[in-house]
Amino acid sequence: MRQGARKAAVAITSIAAVAALTLAGCTSDTDPGSDNTGGTSDEITDAQREEALNTPTDLTFWTWVPDVQDQVDMFEKEYPEIHVKVENVGQGLDHYSKVRTASKAGTGGPDVVQLEYQFISSFAQTGELLDLTPYGAAGIADDYVPWVWKQVVSGDQVLAIPQDSGPMGNLYREDIMTAAGVTEPPATWADYKTAAEKVRANTDSYISNMAPGQGAGWLGLLWQAGVKPFGYDGSENVTINVNSPEAKEVMAYWQDMIQNDLVSIDPDFNDEWYQGLNQGKYAGWLTAAWAPVFLSGAAEDTSGLWRAAPLPQWDTSKPASGNQGGSADAVLKTTKNPIAAYELAKWINSAQEPALLFTTQQNFFPTAISVLEDPVFVDQESDFYGGQQVNKLFADISTTVDTDWQWLPFMEFAYSSFNETFGAAVAAKGDLAAGLDAWQDALVDYAQQQGFTVNG
Amino acid sequence: MTNAIQRKQHLVAYGFILPFFAVFATMFIAPLAYSGYLSFFAHKLVGGVKFVAFGNYVRAFQDPAFLFGLGRTALILLVQVPIMLGLALFFALALDSGRARGSKAVRLLIFLPFAVPGVVAVLMWGYIYGQDFGLTGQITRALGLPPTDFLSDQLILFSIMNIVTWAFVGYNMIILYAALKSIPSELHEAAEIDGASQWRLAWSVKIPMIWPAIFLTIIFSVIGSFQIFNEPKLLVEIAPTAITQGFTPNFYAFNVAFVNQDINYAAAIAFLLGFVIMIVSYVVQLSMHKREVQS
Amino acid sequence: MTAQLTPVTAPPRTPSKSDKRRKAASRGKRRSNLLTLVMWLSVLYFIVPLIWLFMSATKDNSDLFTTFGLWFGHDFNLFANIRAVFAYQDGIYARWALNTGIYAGVAAVGATALATMAGYAFAKYKFPGDKLLFAITLGAIMIPLTALAIPTYLLFSSAHLTDTPWAVILPSLVSPFGVFLMRVYAADAVPDSLMQAARVDGAGEYRIFWTVSLRLLAPGMVTVMLFTFVATWNNYFLPLIMLNSGRLLPLTVGLAQQQATSAAGGGAQALFSTVIAGAFLSIIPLVIVFLYLQRFWQTGLATGGVKG
Repeated sequence: MRQGARKAAVAITSIAAVAALTLAGCTSDTDPGSDNTGGTSDEITDAQREEALNTPTDLTFWTWVPDVQDQVDMFEKEYPEIHVKVENVGQGLDHYSKVRTASKAGTGGPDVVQLEYQFISSFAQTGELLDLTPYGAAGIADDYVPWVWKQVVSGDQVLAIPQDSGPMGNLYREDIMTAAGVTEPPATWADYKTAAEKVRANTDSYISNMAPGQGAGWLGLLWQAGVKPFGYDGSENVTINVNSPEAKEVMAYWQDMIQNDLVSIDPDFNDEWYQGLNQGKYAGWLTAAWAPVFLSGAAEDTSGLWRAAPLPQWDTSKPASGNQGGSADAVLKTTKNPIAAYELAKWINSAQEPALLFTTQQNFFPTAISVLEDPVFVDQESDFYGGQQVNKLFADISTTVDTDWQWLPFMEFAYSSFNETFGAAVAAKGDLAAGLDAWQDALVDYAQQQGFTVNG
Repeated sequence: MTNAIQRKQHLVAYGFILPFFAVFATMFIAPLAYSGYLSFFAHKLVGGVKFVAFGNYVRAFQDPAFLFGLGRTALILLVQVPIMLGLALFFALALDSGRARGSKAVRLLIFLPFAVPGVVAVLMWGYIYGQDFGLTGQITRALGLPPTDFLSDQLILFSIMNIVTWAFVGYNMIILYAALKSIPSELHEAAEIDGASQWRLAWSVKIPMIWPAIFLTIIFSVIGSFQIFNEPKLLVEIAPTAITQGFTPNFYAFNVAFVNQDINYAAAIAFLLGFVIMIVSYVVQLSMHKREVQS
Repeated sequence: MTAQLTPVTAPPRTPSKSDKRRKAASRGKRRSNLLTLVMWLSVLYFIVPLIWLFMSATKDNSDLFTTFGLWFGHDFNLFANIRAVFAYQDGIYARWALNTGIYAGVAAVGATALATMAGYAFAKYKFPGDKLLFAITLGAIMIPLTALAIPTYLLFSSAHLTDTPWAVILPSLVSPFGVFLMRVYAADAVPDSLMQAARVDGAGEYRIFWTVSLRLLAPGMVTVMLFTFVATWNNYFLPLIMLNSGRLLPLTVGLAQQQATSAAGGGAQALFSTVIAGAFLSIIPLVIVFLYLQRFWQTGLATGGVKG
């Protein structure tokens, strides 16, 4: 009950806040903070918010999203007193290590920071993220796809505002598939193997490329299969189960594909791989929802030849997908302007204008329900995919993503050791089950050494 | 009187060295001391910081990633350094003999890679190594050879050795060549009149004469080999499974500090690395000295 | 250690006598076709990658991978690529180039000044502790810079100096090898008799340094300056960890970051031809510096080599 009451209070706060924002200038007299009966955290009042947003403030925003300056410009137009400095300090691990060191040093760090979902618990564990609940974040939970929202909460804390997501599907070259004698996108993984054999036999292509170092993609495939390799209770207990029988079953399928040379295993996102996409070395790509627009830029020469489909299924009666990638924007505890920082993270990702721009300009696949249902987004027909409504397809796929996936609180280490164990086994066309075992051992060793309690 | 002059001269000398040692103390000694201090603590994600004395050093000696990195460096020392310096010496002697046409242009062109920043060199070779569309891919295909993946687990170390060799042969060649030029010409003219062949002349006159320069190139190469960082840092993007966290000790220290967020352990590794370099350099110096005495 | 050799430490403005004689001698020598062939084949190994870099800088993204690497593509895109280089993020490349020049320039001048004074003192004065201090300097050459970078980062961040140009410049001011080189050079280039004569004329020690010695030390200083300049120009590790702001980066970090944008997942951009053209442009200044200052680096290196 208490919990419910508090949630309601929070919801009221944020609705009031939104109202206050839209009716710019109108000040509300309600002080929802005083209605808060159960909470210990101090809710931010509208007056405080108004004041913060109308005080000249400098914010720093670290992100590697290209051209995000455009969304930030919109924000600065909306709130002329807030000045935002956008910095790209590197991407992926480089970005995270910069955030870590700046946060450790206590100075020179950003106020708002891009975080992939998979790294949120890692940063929460080290206490670097501000709980956004007092700022009204819990109230916007219902605006987002449920499985995405689950990725940004820990217990009753909200740690980031979702930006984009990557439910997985299957992009493929229709022309090569036809040439190979595959007329329908494979519905099951067994069909996929048959199709892969046809592609190898009848064309010079591979049905897809399974990059050994693409940890997030491999985990996405486990996610689809309902495997739960990780668990974290938010404090000292982690569950590590990457070599479960279920995980090994999925990887046995891929070991068979790899060892029979039915898929290629080139590293991805380098020059060779881009060429492989352009030149038809890969007839398809099992990838995330951010990929369709990205691909249309990266493999421009092949426009019109691609189509999109859901991932092949293990059980067609229960269609499922996993997620690969996608980011949120979090506020660091070291910020001196938490209210403005929260508003920046929230506004650029939820106001209709910047959020829609993300989908068209930055290739992002949205997480806000309002954008996912916006006709501008859903009904878009893409020439690159022969006029297919790719967004609608992925919006449907997004509803099939399992909501209970969790990450470890040390994913930086987890991914680098993934490359050295499982990734190396893929690259060597070796024993993938042994690769999983080696990864399990490395993770458990590290977790114990770092003082966690490990559950099998 | 003389004492006063002497004292004044001491003061002057201290005045000259003061600026350097002031910066040296703050930019070199202080970080080093701080690093040493940090290395005696351990930081855990759960439980925080605690004093562990030499625990981090003990851990490093049992850490396969660190030891394999050292092993790779040893391989570089034993394979790449001799090849690189052998080539540099050969080119220097060949240029010095004056028997090759266009030797001035040759000298400049071989030195040219040294002007290429390490980052650019690695990026460039990364493209060239592409097995399907890179230059090596194009050449192997044109020759009808099977495609070779220079970025695979098996070959990546040799690909890195190649980049280092490419970049530094010219630099070492110039050091040796300049030393050769300083040999009084009367010396080998006399030998030539005696009818000594170029090979003999090189072996028994020139090489012994430039021994100090050779020694310098060896020491520099030893230090350089232990510091290899750019190559794994940049190639890991295109060869993620072939380059491990501990590919080279220096890269490992970086990863431990900035990826694994274990500054304390990284400090211990960096310290150990410094020790290893000093020991190896010392051993090299000793053996060189012996050789010098013998010759 | 081994001072028995005639050093080539005399100011290198004119070729030495023996050099001239050797040139004359070598003209009379028999040229070897085999050796010429071997040498020029070896040269190929060193310049083929650079030819590839140049050719690639003239291609667009699709020619880059579909046409032969050592010849031009279908279209000549060098200028379009250069425009793209300077258009990227509102011309941040020019900013990176400027930063690189400033960092390298300030570090080179500063490090040379410090090294010259220290090296000169070690060579020309005897003072208590000189042996020990010099030994420490020599020992410092062995310490891997990366071993220092991490603690330096921590110290700098507590002094609020990270993400400023000083974070790159200050550590680059320390050049133990420069001190070593200047000591060796000063020992021969500045004759004691000259200093003595100046003293007899009543000149103070600093005045002697300033008016007499400095001029004689100039060629050695250029060498030290050149090598610190190159070292700072090429430095990647230090700016990588010290700097965050895009506008403060040097070329090395900027280019590496630009290259990495191809791997940014959903937001990835394949900027290969732009990166390659940027890389090509970045090596031109150093190549020119080296060609122009040949005699300095050649003799300068000999100083260290002869007296090692």
